[in-house]
This record gives sequence, structure tokens and C-alpha cells, in this order.
Amino acid sequence: MNDRETGVGVRGEAGNPAATDGEDPGGDTLREPVDDAPRRYYELDETGFDEVPARWRRFYRHWRGPGDELAPNEVLCPVCKVVIRSRRELRPGDRVYCMPCMSRLVVVRAPDGSLEAEVVY
Amino acid sequence: MGDPPTLRERSAPSGPGSPGPVGGPLPGTDDPHDADDPALQDEVLSVAFWFDAVGDHLRRGLSAVTGTDARPADGAAGDVPPDLTPEAVDRLLTVLANYAVGELTALDGASGLVRQAGDRRVKTFLATQTLDEARHLEVFVRRIRSLGVADPDAEIERRAHPALLTFRERLLSLVDEGDWASALFAQNVILESMERTVFDAHRRNADLRTRVVLDGVIADERRHLGFGENDLGRRLRDDDTGRLARRLAEIRSQLDPLVAESFDGVASRIGLAPAEAERLSDDYESAVRRLGLV
Repeated sequence: MNDRETGVGVRGEAGNPAATDGEDPGGDTLREPVDDAPRRYYELDETGFDEVPARWRRFYRHWRGPGDELAPNEVLCPVCKVVIRSRRELRPGDRVYCMPCMSRLVVVRAPDGSLEAEVVY
Repeated sequence: MGDPPTLRERSAPSGPGSPGPVGGPLPGTDDPHDADDPALQDEVLSVAFWFDAVGDHLRRGLSAVTGTDARPADGAAGDVPPDLTPEAVDRLLTVLANYAVGELTALDGASGLVRQAGDRRVKTFLATQTLDEARHLEVFVRRIRSLGVADPDAEIERRAHPALLTFRERLLSLVDEGDWASALFAQNVILESMERTVFDAHRRNADLRTRVVLDGVIADERRHLGFGENDLGRRLRDDDTGRLARRLAEIRSQLDPLVAESFDGVASRIGLAPAEAERLSDDYESAVRRLGLV
């Protein structure tokens, strides 16, 4: 989805004071492992997903199949195949919650360099 | 093997059906990934959450089979199904009849599991799942009726696949035996996985009204699938003996062929190519692998 990127290395939510994320120095790129680079932050837009109560809907979107390229702040839920969206660029070790199927997940890096989510039971 | 709950377990958070800890927001926050608070479980398993989650697609699904405003979730226009040939209608009726059998099975199964659940939150969730299954059954029956069938119940009985009926008998016997884990595996993992995958494949080729109905059902299946996998995943994680894994593998060996046979019959009728039909089981196989049952 075309969410607005609100900053690199800052907590740049619109309307909130930005604060430097001091733990993440360096540059960033989508395809290379850049787990030490500054985080990018996003303002999430509505996606039309309506399978959870309204206040949570912008954190999820429908997956459009294998050709659906995920943004740096997105990861696919392996249980229910909904795209989970975060306000920040995701990194291995991040924990996310798939509310549509109530699964707790941890982000890992796949052998091909992409990010995947694994279920934490 | 069903671990029937003791009196103590019935009131203990760790009893059968206990949801365990989940990640998620504090109820007052607005980011579902922020916190790790069991209080969220009260919210996501509640009737209030369910009502807010299903409201939109519930209305779309019902209107699709009551003749008004059949509009798919992605906003595509149109409310008149394309003309179906008599052969296409016949195929669709067989498919819908078997979907109805699956939903009737899940309705009976979920309602039977309510009493066995050891945790009031799980009881509540299963009550919402029961209502989901009843609604699914209703929309499939209404869709069958809308295709010109005067007696949908007779049509369902006539067209039901024998393997699916055998699966139904086996699942309900597990429920009756109080075998919580096996019944939940059969219903919320095996049956729901295959239904979700078939519905998702079918919706791509379906007429508009059927597609709207399927979209709503798929949305509900996510919750049912997730609940089943996560409950069983926690049980398997905590079972040092390997007994539960062996039991579920046994259930799987009994039920997999029945489900495969049932859905093979459906796949050909919803226009899936053989290669695509083979992929139908991928999601289910993935769930089984995640649970460590292979």
C-alpha cells in the first residue's frame, strides 16, 4: 500500500513530536539485510480491510496473491494470509499481532532475504 | 485423549481451551503490535469484538442472497449474477450443497465444544463461531434456494458427498467423546483449512452473488483457523510426552483421505485446473508443519 513514509530513524507519526531512534545508525534498503540501519516510519492509511473492528483496520490488508510485493512495513501472516502492517519498517525479531486470526508472530529473515512471520504459540 | 476438564480446570485460566497469552495492544492503545498483554484476549474473544469484526461482511453476505446490493468487498459494481447454463447451475448446486454440509458439521461441532471449553473466554469465542457457522449455513441454503431449488434440505442431502458425511460422523463422535484436542484439530484445522482454501479458489471464478457470500465466509474462517492452530500449538508445545502429537497424527491419517476425497469432487466443479487443485492442500499442509505434525 502507498502509506506515507514519515521519517527515517525518527518516530515521525504525524502530529507527534519526532524523536531520534538512537539504536539504529546507518542507511537503509529494501532487499539487503539492513538490520542496523535507521528505521523508516509510516503513517498507515485505510486499505478497505474490514474484518476487524474499525480502530484496527489500517494495520491489515488483504493479500493479493504471490505477486503482491510487500512494503518494508508489511509481513504476511502464514496462518490466515492477511498482510500485517506496522507503523515502522519491520526487522527480524520484531513481534507483530495478526488480529484477524489472533496469532502472535515474530518477524524472521527468509533465506531469500525477504521478511517472513513465524507463529509464536 | 480429550483431556476432559476437571472442576478445577473449568475455572482456571490454564484449563482446556485456555487461550494463553497473546501479543497485542493494551485496550486503550491503538497499535495492535505494541504490547504483550493478556487483557487483549478478553477483547478479541469477546462478543463485542466479534460483532464489530463481522458487521460489514455479514450485511454484504446476507444482502447478496436476499437480492439487494450484492457488492463485493473490493467495491466492484454489479448486483446481477451472470447467466448460468443449466449445467453450471447443477455444478454450483452440488458445490453449495457440500459447503452447506461442511457448515452444518462445523455448527454442530462448535456448539458441542462450548460446554467442554474450560475458559469462559473460549466458551464465548466458540459461541461466536457457532453463530458464524449458522450464518454460513443460512447463506448457502439461501443461495441454493435462489437458484430455483424449492427444498434445499432435500437437495443438500441428495448431493452430499459420502466422504464428507463420513467426516462429519467422525468429527462429531470426537466431540461427543469429549476429545477436545482431536475435535478442535478436525474442525478448526482440517475442515476449516480446506474450506477456506476451496472458498478462496472458488471466489475467483464465482458469479457475483456467490462470490460475495464466499468473501464473508472466508473472513470468518480466519478467526476459526487461528483459534484452532494457536490453541493446539500451545498444547503441543506444553506436551513433553509426545502423546498429543501422536494422537493428532492418528486423527490426521483417518480424516485427511475423507477431506481430500470430498474436495476433489468440489475442485472439478468449480473449474480448478488439476495443478491448481493440487495446491489446495498447501495451506493445510503448512499448518500441519507449523504444528510439528509431520
